Amino acid sequence: MLFRALTAVGLSFTLATAAPANAQQAAHPEPWSEAAVGSHVDQEMLQGVLTKSQLQTLIEQGKALFVAKFTTADGVGRPMATQAIIPTKRKRPLQQSFQRLPGTDSNACSSCHNDPIAGGAGDFVTNVFVSEGFTNADFDTSDPQFSNERNTNHLMGAGLVELLAREMTADLHAQRTDALRAARETGAPVTVQLVTKGIDFGKIIAEPDGIVDLAAIDGIDTDLVIRPFSQKGVIGSLRQFTVNALNHHHGIQATERFGKRWTGEADFDEDGVADELTPGDVSALVAWQATRKPPVEIEPANEEWRQLSKRGFAVFADIGCADCHRPSLPLNGLRFSDPGPFDAAGTLRPGESRQDAVYDLALTEWAKLLPRDENDAILVPLFGDLKRHKIADQQVSALGNELLGQRFVDRDVFMTSELWGIASTGPYGHRGDLTTLDEIIRVHGGDARQSRDRYVAIDEEDRIALIAFLKTLVIEQ
Amino acid sequence: MKYFQSVLATGSLVISVSGVHAGETDMHQQLSSDIPVLGEQAAAAGIDHHYRGPWEYFVGGGAASFDCNGDRFPDLMLAGGTDPTQLFVNTSNATDSLRFERRPLAIGDAELKNVTGIYPIDIDNDGHRDVVLLRVGRNVILKGGPDCSFTSANRAFSFDGGRAWTTGFAATFEKDAPFPSLAFGNYVDRSAPGSPWGTCHDNILVRPEGREQPNYSAAEALSPGYCALSMIFTDWNRSGTPSLRITNDRHYYRDGEEQMWRVDPGKAPRLYRRADGWKRVNIWGMGIAEGDIDADGYPEYALTSMGDTKLQTLDTEAEEGRPVYRDIAFERNATAHRPYTGSDLKPSTGWHSEFADFNNDGLLDLFIAKGNVEKMPDFADFDPDNLLLGQHDGTFIEAGHLSGIDLDRRGRGAAVADFDLDGNLDLVVVNREAPVSVFHNRGGRTDWGTRPLGNWLQIELQQDGANRNAVGATILVKSGNETRLRKIQTGGGHASGHSGFIHVGTGVAERAQIRVQWPDGEWSPAYRVFANNFVIIRRGEATAKYWYR
Repeated sequence: MLFRALTAVGLSFTLATAAPANAQQAAHPEPWSEAAVGSHVDQEMLQGVLTKSQLQTLIEQGKALFVAKFTTADGVGRPMATQAIIPTKRKRPLQQSFQRLPGTDSNACSSCHNDPIAGGAGDFVTNVFVSEGFTNADFDTSDPQFSNERNTNHLMGAGLVELLAREMTADLHAQRTDALRAARETGAPVTVQLVTKGIDFGKIIAEPDGIVDLAAIDGIDTDLVIRPFSQKGVIGSLRQFTVNALNHHHGIQATERFGKRWTGEADFDEDGVADELTPGDVSALVAWQATRKPPVEIEPANEEWRQLSKRGFAVFADIGCADCHRPSLPLNGLRFSDPGPFDAAGTLRPGESRQDAVYDLALTEWAKLLPRDENDAILVPLFGDLKRHKIADQQVSALGNELLGQRFVDRDVFMTSELWGIASTGPYGHRGDLTTLDEIIRVHGGDARQSRDRYVAIDEEDRIALIAFLKTLVIEQ
Repeated sequence: MKYFQSVLATGSLVISVSGVHAGETDMHQQLSSDIPVLGEQAAAAGIDHHYRGPWEYFVGGGAASFDCNGDRFPDLMLAGGTDPTQLFVNTSNATDSLRFERRPLAIGDAELKNVTGIYPIDIDNDGHRDVVLLRVGRNVILKGGPDCSFTSANRAFSFDGGRAWTTGFAATFEKDAPFPSLAFGNYVDRSAPGSPWGTCHDNILVRPEGREQPNYSAAEALSPGYCALSMIFTDWNRSGTPSLRITNDRHYYRDGEEQMWRVDPGKAPRLYRRADGWKRVNIWGMGIAEGDIDADGYPEYALTSMGDTKLQTLDTEAEEGRPVYRDIAFERNATAHRPYTGSDLKPSTGWHSEFADFNNDGLLDLFIAKGNVEKMPDFADFDPDNLLLGQHDGTFIEAGHLSGIDLDRRGRGAAVADFDLDGNLDLVVVNREAPVSVFHNRGGRTDWGTRPLGNWLQIELQQDGANRNAVGATILVKSGNETRLRKIQTGGGHASGHSGFIHVGTGVAERAQIRVQWPDGEWSPAYRVFANNFVIIRRGEATAKYWYR
């Protein structure tokens, strides 16, 4: 299993896009304004399945926000709030608004998500420092006892990833419901192996009285919700990710979590700007991220590379990489409802607006290029399994280098990194401290140890072939 | 300073509310949190029940919510006064309304009538909740059996039941005791010379004898009694040994006051006195709600009365370990002293009170049942129930009329429980000489209907042997830096009790760690759970389980 950079929570991204931030956003009524956010998007205008034109408009608005270098006029910074995902006050105001370690640590989403294009990954300089933000929210050290240092993930194809996760979660919930029904009907415990899209998430035991024993689940949270985002696999949706990251990295607080409804204050971070980002603004950001074109596998023009790549793909499967880095997972539908079905309060949920919106990803040009299987399911070529695994052991422990668990997940357990786009998104490892694919493969321990050992043991030529194959997985520019 | 600001805000609120047209819009604007829409649907839910009777039934009117058939949906047993007590089995499902079916009780009217209050508790540790019927006359224990069957157990439990007019009840499992100790609060001794004035009955504490079978033959008088209308065992000082707090009706006592008894295992109960720091408080005490608003381990108490509700907190300025309480009702805008809507400016009459999080924003709200005693001219005739929504600054804002519970009925007892197990707390109010109100919580009020409320957890504790449902346990639910505290208790309110899932709103927290201090003081490990789940914690097990309806 190949673990590459995953970022954390960071939605940050640098201005790699050529256009100045203000150029693409909705026109500000005062062109000389120093606010980066123009007019806010009205969530009430987003109802039902958006037409291609409506969706395109929203995407443009989302892009403008993604590349916007937020300013104090927008509410950048959070002098009296921490980076925590639950609105949390500081005990005293921050002396310095921008601080690379606890944040705020970037001006725009694109400050970090920029390699090779906006929405891409980031190199080592874009690393973020993930702290829960409840205790020791302020730290001036990269000592891992205070935070986990994470490299920036790319967001290409993120809409497909979330749709896969939603379908898999719905599958697992249906299996749980069926098991409970059977247990109640028969009066006997029912054990069910949780398998969706060919991925095994362990088993549960449903008791006749409705209690479910969760002790044997594997690589998933106890609520059987697949949270596909972040290196740790602890964030359930692009929307949740966006709201988290806006606060963490920019001190821009979305009203759907930090507004008056949940905190009693319109200006929770006490920076003088109330209601910094509306649900509609967040929807725009979600729409932009969800419609990013997924990475592709190129057919090299170079004949030697083409041949090596072909052989490398076989090696990839032979030595067991594909056990976790599944070349593709089948997706049944392309309609991306926003808000999604599995978010909790604090991230906009279905029913919290007059009518929910749906972004039909089939309206994108890239959707037409996706392969389909014999059942007409879309084969999402993500090279991942959306499951968490232990990735370090006694002998091969480099990826167990964090000291802090995150959201109930142990420190040496991470979500399988999706390999699509990996050739475009070095460096590797969740800290972004491994510069070659060979290095990252060699530090796979834990559940991936056998595959890693096989990789080490095979011929040099096979190893080169495998790398050659991985080099075909690119983000198109 | 924060509270000073709050008081100012409160002042303006009172002014706006006391106008002839108390501004719904004004209040709505002040409220930033969700207003739960509580739709009354007793008839549709299949509940037809009244609490009736002469003077003795001016008080009482209890409701017990508990699961009597093992499906974990809360069922309802309702006191009828001179009408019989009725049992309603919960048949709610995923539809938009609550559903109950009346289930006849195989108990004679002699025991089911003249009932003022009802409290559920598994007395004999058989896994079925029993119920204690408070009566005008002999109190009755009904032993619960499978599928909501009940049998009279006074003889089996050697329980005399007395002959008093009983209006309060509380129970606790004292250290190492196999069965609970039962406290009964009695009202006016109607046979005493000069009755009713100054003729309050003693209260009673019955401790179990024997280890195989409950034996409640030995009753101790808690004297003096001051016409108790509610009582609760409360660990007010975090000592691990709860004391018995009693609220008393000054209408009938002479030289009486609020009381708290120190109840040490194996020792005779002892009243807290002036020397201990106990202050005299005289109110028309009707109901007790216990809730730890700031989760510091020292509970607050809402004491209903005629006129002001008291909201008491342990005085941090007082010497440590002394039961000195300070009334913070005014500064927290929780006095609820007169109707908040309508034109009647006379003082309110409060009965059942209960802290609970009705909108799942993570803050405790306060429900108070209201209603004129009968036709007392100096008190409000139209006196709607209160729903005081907790705010982030520690204050409360009235939302009874915005939520839909402001009916013209004389409320008494109540049950706050999630009857359809959808995560939102519903409400049942027993009204005097009027139909029971059944309010279904449909979610947060919006311009277009309702929206989902905040996140929640519902928690069930299990342990083997005595006290299977862990009465007396403390549950801490921690999300980020926020901790929410709940106690499992039998008692309090007004004549009404609950046994079942403990509901905790968690606001925007999607996960939480739960720690339990079991009734014997032992702490559990931390259980990691995701919000919006029913959590089963079995003592000794390393992980929690979830339950699904």
